[in-house]
Amino acid sequence: MFDLLPDRLAWYVGGPVLGLLIVGLFAIANQPLGASGAYVQTSGLLRRMPDVVTWRVWYFVGMFVGGVLVTQVLREGAEIRSGYDALRNVFPLWAVVPLVFGGATLLGYGAAVAGGCTSGHGMCGTAQRSPASLTVTATFMATAVLTTLALRIVTGGDL
Amino acid sequence: MKLNLIGLLFGIAFGGVLAASNLHEYDTIHAMLRLDEFDVFWFMASAIAVSAPLLWLLERRRIHTPFGGELALSRSKPEKHHVQGGALFGVGWAIAGTCPAPALVMVSSGALLGLVAIPGIFLGLHLRERQTKTVGHVGDGEHRETVVVPG
Repeated sequence: MFDLLPDRLAWYVGGPVLGLLIVGLFAIANQPLGASGAYVQTSGLLRRMPDVVTWRVWYFVGMFVGGVLVTQVLREGAEIRSGYDALRNVFPLWAVVPLVFGGATLLGYGAAVAGGCTSGHGMCGTAQRSPASLTVTATFMATAVLTTLALRIVTGGDL
Repeated sequence: MKLNLIGLLFGIAFGGVLAASNLHEYDTIHAMLRLDEFDVFWFMASAIAVSAPLLWLLERRRIHTPFGGELALSRSKPEKHHVQGGALFGVGWAIAGTCPAPALVMVSSGALLGLVAIPGIFLGLHLRERQTKTVGHVGDGEHRETVVVPG
């Protein structure tokens, strides 16, 4: 709406701001700034499970609202589109949909087995110097780079 | 409740930073994992470089957090499930080009395929719950909000 933000904030601004947010949530609530736990609590609420951690559900909603604030209000306003440009350049939409859904299911399952995702283990866990989180992070970085390489080979270098 | 408001505000700030850094775009994550562009690695590294020493200091001072008692950082030992879960997560992350928080921002930004990714993440988490017969067991790195229900 307002075109106040650059197209992409430099990492040396965004990264340290995120670091301060991580410290802030620990200092206020003694909790990691993770995302997969918010999915678990939100899914618990939707299924009317007992003992839902409600602030994690508000946090889930907040992540979406923060995205709207930046991409629609502070920037010029993004249009409705499919996303996944690089993937769509290589595969037709009927293949992209199951790829995205399957990949997302796999990462959700993996996050549940590992007990956290890129934010919970990758950033908050390593910031706490947790050996378990360092192990998870090193493992997912390695398999992600290798999988990307495999996709690149399979598609003859197109992806 | 005040904690709900804090949760909402931290969510907004987190989602906002991810959006401003374009981490919700498949192309950004894909370029990172292709090792074409190192910005996201530096983004993560600088977040850790800022938070790790501050957390260390706060822990040493034994600060009392307003909503969670004395600050207690977790340092679990690695177990087999950390390697297994991490390995699967990495494969899914590379294929879907997104992870739980950026997937929400993807939808905020108008990218409709985010609506395919989010249910997938919910399904994956749910499949594990069914397998282990626990609910709310996934913490954020360190299993802080474990709720186990029988059956």
